[in-house]
Amino acid sequence: MSVLARSVGNAFRNKVRTAAVVAVLAVAIGLALAMLVANQAVGAKVQELNASVGTVLTVNPAGGQGFEGGGEPLTTEQATAAAAVPNVSAVVGTSSLRLRNATEAAAQAAAGQTGQGGPGGQGGQGGPGGQAAATLTTSLTAAVDAGTLGNRNQQSNGTTGSGSTTQPMRSLPITATGIGAEVDSTGKALTIAEGAGLGDYTAESTNALLGTTLAEKNNLSIGSTFTINDQAYTVAGLFDAGTSFGNNAVYVTLPTAQALAGTPTELSSMIVTVNSLENVDSTKAALQDALGTDKADVTQGQNLETAVSSLGSVKNISFIAFVAALATAGLIILLIMVMLVRERRREIGVLKAIGAPNRTIGLQFVLEALVLAALGSAAGAVIAAFASSGIASALISTNSTSTTPAATAGRGMPGGVPGGGAGFPGGGQGGNPFGGASQLLTSVTASASPEVIAAGVAAVFGVAIIGALVPALLTARIRPIEVLRGE
Amino acid sequence: MIEVKNLVRTFNSGDRTIKPVNDVSFVLEQGTLASIVGKSGSGKSTLLSLLGALDKPTSGDVVVNGVSLAGMPDAKLTEYRRRDIGFVFQQFNLIPNLSAVDNVMLPMEFAGMRKAARQQRAKDLLEQVQLVQDKHDRRINRLSGGEQQRVAIARALANEPKLILADEPTGNLDEQTGDHIISLLSALSRDHNTTILVVTHDRALANKTDRRFRLQQGKLTEEPVRPRAAVPVTA
Repeated sequence: MSVLARSVGNAFRNKVRTAAVVAVLAVAIGLALAMLVANQAVGAKVQELNASVGTVLTVNPAGGQGFEGGGEPLTTEQATAAAAVPNVSAVVGTSSLRLRNATEAAAQAAAGQTGQGGPGGQGGQGGPGGQAAATLTTSLTAAVDAGTLGNRNQQSNGTTGSGSTTQPMRSLPITATGIGAEVDSTGKALTIAEGAGLGDYTAESTNALLGTTLAEKNNLSIGSTFTINDQAYTVAGLFDAGTSFGNNAVYVTLPTAQALAGTPTELSSMIVTVNSLENVDSTKAALQDALGTDKADVTQGQNLETAVSSLGSVKNISFIAFVAALATAGLIILLIMVMLVRERRREIGVLKAIGAPNRTIGLQFVLEALVLAALGSAAGAVIAAFASSGIASALISTNSTSTTPAATAGRGMPGGVPGGGAGFPGGGQGGNPFGGASQLLTSVTASASPEVIAAGVAAVFGVAIIGALVPALLTARIRPIEVLRGE
Repeated sequence: MIEVKNLVRTFNSGDRTIKPVNDVSFVLEQGTLASIVGKSGSGKSTLLSLLGALDKPTSGDVVVNGVSLAGMPDAKLTEYRRRDIGFVFQQFNLIPNLSAVDNVMLPMEFAGMRKAARQQRAKDLLEQVQLVQDKHDRRINRLSGGEQQRVAIARALANEPKLILADEPTGNLDEQTGDHIISLLSALSRDHNTTILVVTHDRALANKTDRRFRLQQGKLTEEPVRPRAAVPVTA
């Protein structure tokens, strides 16, 4: 019988005790692993948030945002100036267009409307009265029904014109955005659900990306064509923005949109990516200086920062919980091993008396400890697999309730129009990251990655080895007769 | 040859100091079968554990074949116990969850003997101490006291030690098996030149030894013995 066989045999010597020891170990290890997994999951999400939207600054014309406000448009020179600011890793220009259904526009015109020339206007960024340049006709019909919010918003915007006749429910305008890279109007990478991207975003092209719901509404698929201002465009890809509002949109390349608007050097907004989260504040100030406070408004996802920092605190909490759970697991294993070895002092004395070297005794008890720890870890991993997603989502949901009001506020209209949300065209221009962020927050779910489990189990085994080795060797060092004589 | 020189072992019991072994000296030639008799608590077991390097003397020395145990480091003492000593304990001290064969194999495993060889030798030794074959693979805690005693003796013989120290080796055995064990020990000392020191209350055993010592209040005295009678060996 070898040392190994003896150790395994000893581990199962007392089955009730072995079962109890394994159960206690499993709970402790499972808890530690669950915390580690939760910590990793939250950490990964924080990193992802930081990487995607946390470092993004949005530059809008001073006094204007989306289709609201006024002031002078941004220019491509300003984009070049922005790119020259230190720590800026990318500048993506966007050019927003408002598309109206051609049939409907014609019908409205026939009804005696003055077209899009209503006061105050939807196309605020082009300066007062300049909205005509950015409002175009299309063959597309919006995927979102106007509903109560849409009608109310458009009335308040004056687009229903001077006629006192109540217009029947009409479809909403569609926002077409020219983009200088494959990102949406908030700087997040576009999720292409079908087809391909637009390739070179800095050249004019007759390809376009449509939101999934918009394409469905208009019975369009990859390769289908539609028109903007009577010019045909081909659907190159479908994207999924994750929201109904986000999917009721068209993306074309930046030069295409600029050409359609007739303003080749103008930009509606710039999405500036900073190289790291630490540099965001300083870069924001530098950017504001470089562009001039009277020319541009630089905004940052303030509320997102709060979300990230509260996620960060969850990460810290779960890390502390992991350390505490691991320390507890370690202590339990240590004490159990000390007890097991202590219980068998006499056996150690006998082995010593018949000539067992200390290392053989140490090895025997370490192997025995490893057998118990292996069983405990296996059971603990199963517990962790079930518990970790629950624990992680509990941690995240607590967090997201605190960020939801912030997100809603972020989506509010510059003009103070109540309601917020997707029903208001252009409302999401500056504030959309928050909607995305809250979605990310709620979707954090922990999955037990093999490396994490392996690291946790290795720590557990290390503690088990020490817990068995130290008391075994301490006992083995005593004169055999002291041990054999008993207490 | 084993030389014991002015061996003293003291224990502190509260504020009293007791001396179970007090200035003991004797010399045993290799191959001698000797016995120590004495009352319970006279220090016989303590003396035996000092000789077997299970304990360290307060003063004095044990010299085995010219090597002093007093100055030996622990690792060397372990090796001495493994290679040169066979110990039969009063309470057997077998590993309860191992089989008889596994228990006998343990010292050979520590000595690095190959598995097949030690298994064969373990079975032979168990045969020698008359443990029936179907009990060889039985766990120790399923064996009777007498059977455990025989397994303990077989384990003591495992590494062919030069010195066997036995604490009441026949105490738990019936007369017949006890006689057999005595014959076996006697034959070992004669045929294998093994020195055997037995602590016993058993007059029959004590009378068959070459030399007989009496331990009284820590002091050792030798008693005269008749010339050793030939003991028939049945194994």
